Amino acid sequence: MIELEALSFTYIGGNRPALQAVSLSVAAGEFVVVLGANGAGKTSLCHALTGYIPHFYRGQLTGQARLDGRNTQSLSLAEIVEVAGQVFQNPANQISGVRLTVSEEVAFGLENLAVPAAAMPARIKAALALTGLSALADRSPYALSGGEQQRLALASVLVMQPRLLVLDEPTSMLDPQGARDILLAVAALRQTGLTVVLAEHRLELAAALASRVIVLADGRIVRDGAPQEVLADPALEDYGLIPLRYTQAARLAQARGLWPAQAPMPVTLESAAAGFRRVLRGAA
Amino acid sequence: MDSGLPTLYRPGDSWLHRRHPLTKLAYAASLAVAGFAAPWPAAAWFLLGALTLPLAAWARLARPLGRALLWSLAPLAAALLIIHGLFNPANHTILASWGELTLGQEGLIYALATLGRLAGALGASLLCLYTTPPGDLMTALQQRGLPAGLAYVLISTLQLLPLMRRRAQAILAAQQARGLRLEGNLLIRARALLPAVIPLVVGALLDVEERALALESRGFSRPGPRTSLQAVPDTALDRSLRWALAAGALVTLVWRWWP
Ligand SMILES: Nc1ncnc2c1ncn2[C@@H]1O[C@H](COP(=O)(O)OP(=O)(O)OP(=O)(O)O)[C@@H](O)[C@H]1O
Ligand SMILES: [Mg+2]
Repeated sequence: MIELEALSFTYIGGNRPALQAVSLSVAAGEFVVVLGANGAGKTSLCHALTGYIPHFYRGQLTGQARLDGRNTQSLSLAEIVEVAGQVFQNPANQISGVRLTVSEEVAFGLENLAVPAAAMPARIKAALALTGLSALADRSPYALSGGEQQRLALASVLVMQPRLLVLDEPTSMLDPQGARDILLAVAALRQTGLTVVLAEHRLELAAALASRVIVLADGRIVRDGAPQEVLADPALEDYGLIPLRYTQAARLAQARGLWPAQAPMPVTLESAAAGFRRVLRGAA
Repeated sequence: MDSGLPTLYRPGDSWLHRRHPLTKLAYAASLAVAGFAAPWPAAAWFLLGALTLPLAAWARLARPLGRALLWSLAPLAAALLIIHGLFNPANHTILASWGELTLGQEGLIYALATLGRLAGALGASLLCLYTTPPGDLMTALQQRGLPAGLAYVLISTLQLLPLMRRRAQAILAAQQARGLRLEGNLLIRARALLPAVIPLVVGALLDVEERALALESRGFSRPGPRTSLQAVPDTALDRSLRWALAAGALVTLVWRWWP
């Protein structure tokens, strides 16, 4: 689905590369969470996947990005959006501002792609259902909460039926409930076979959703693997990430000789509970 | 504007609501032209009173339209009347005087005529925007060959005006909560407003980038024809109205400038 080949990019006016020799191959259906501290290059990586680098952001680019085997540099943005859609951080900025209702807003992308009007209602309905917005179809986009607006942004992209969905910290401006709702909607997409790349800086989200976790630091990929391996890595702290509470607790227990030295570190609530049950049983 | 939604459009099903967006645009344009070109100063007031306000009343929009005109033109009206009524050098016919100050007829007429032209143009444009969903206007403009980008900029700017006002209010409220003082003399207030204006401008500029990206992700830059969810029907009546309006505007232009 995606191949990045030694991709490096320096923004015009940037004094150092935002992405450095990033090589990455993502197969269809994977759910990749990209972790990294502020300025690590998460947004830049997202932009490289959806063609905004180099079509929107100018700068020095070496290496290449391929979507479905086609170099993004030789595709236009308009061609790319039929394959890859992106959801951004700020929900309010993703409302077109020229449509009066939620359904019309979702239709905006279809209108731009010249989808026949007769085919629109069914697609709009499906996208609204996927994002839990069916009841709000006739509301004004401006009369929605931040979380609802972000789900509207998701619906507006999903309705265009992309095969790659890129989300750049989609929950960072939402309250916990709004964040949970959008993540539930995204998690449900896993069943549809959609390929998802989600940038985040909170490990909890990665642990809950990812089939694969990538860690960026200073524009380089420093870790790439299954969530259980990557998220338990003590080195993550050196990359400016806050470790999972479960791992932290287990590591404390290990330092006191309570957690077996060989046992893997837990990255989910379930594995932490199971591990500590064993520890407690051993203590009794 | 009481709806809390950042749009000028007021939903409805009046005769005016059902007209094609370009017909209403033609109305606004030809009334503006006629008001400015007509040889007598009262023409624009007449068009406002005899056409725009009755039409607005028919669409049950007379009250909001009147209020919007009053609020947006009152400060200008006061300035025009004072400057031209009292100080216009063309003032020869004295209508009244208070000590040193004299009210001149020529200046007064000039001020009223200018005000009428602005009120006429603004009133017709607002009536057009009140009764036309922004998306329909954009679709109609695109169908007539206006580039999508230009159509979007036009429509979204109109939409963003109320949005900007809403944001300015939010920023002011936040600054006041942090101790910004809005009382005191003009200079103090002007200085106090600076910290409110800067986030407004910077915020608007920063947002432009993400807005542009988000539009791209919706296929906005795709060249070629577009479709639309809702058809924007054009009728024979609309077409005749547009011809009539164009002819009317042309007649006033010729009348005014025919040698
Ligand atoms: N438009 C730009 N122009 C110049 N430099 C930029 C631009 N955008 C990002 N950069 C730089 O590129 C580097 C990577 O930034 P990027 O936004 O990709 O990081 P990020 O991981 O998304 O950070 P955050 O968590 O803050 O969103 C940073 O050093 C940043 O300063
Ligand atoms: Mg970022």
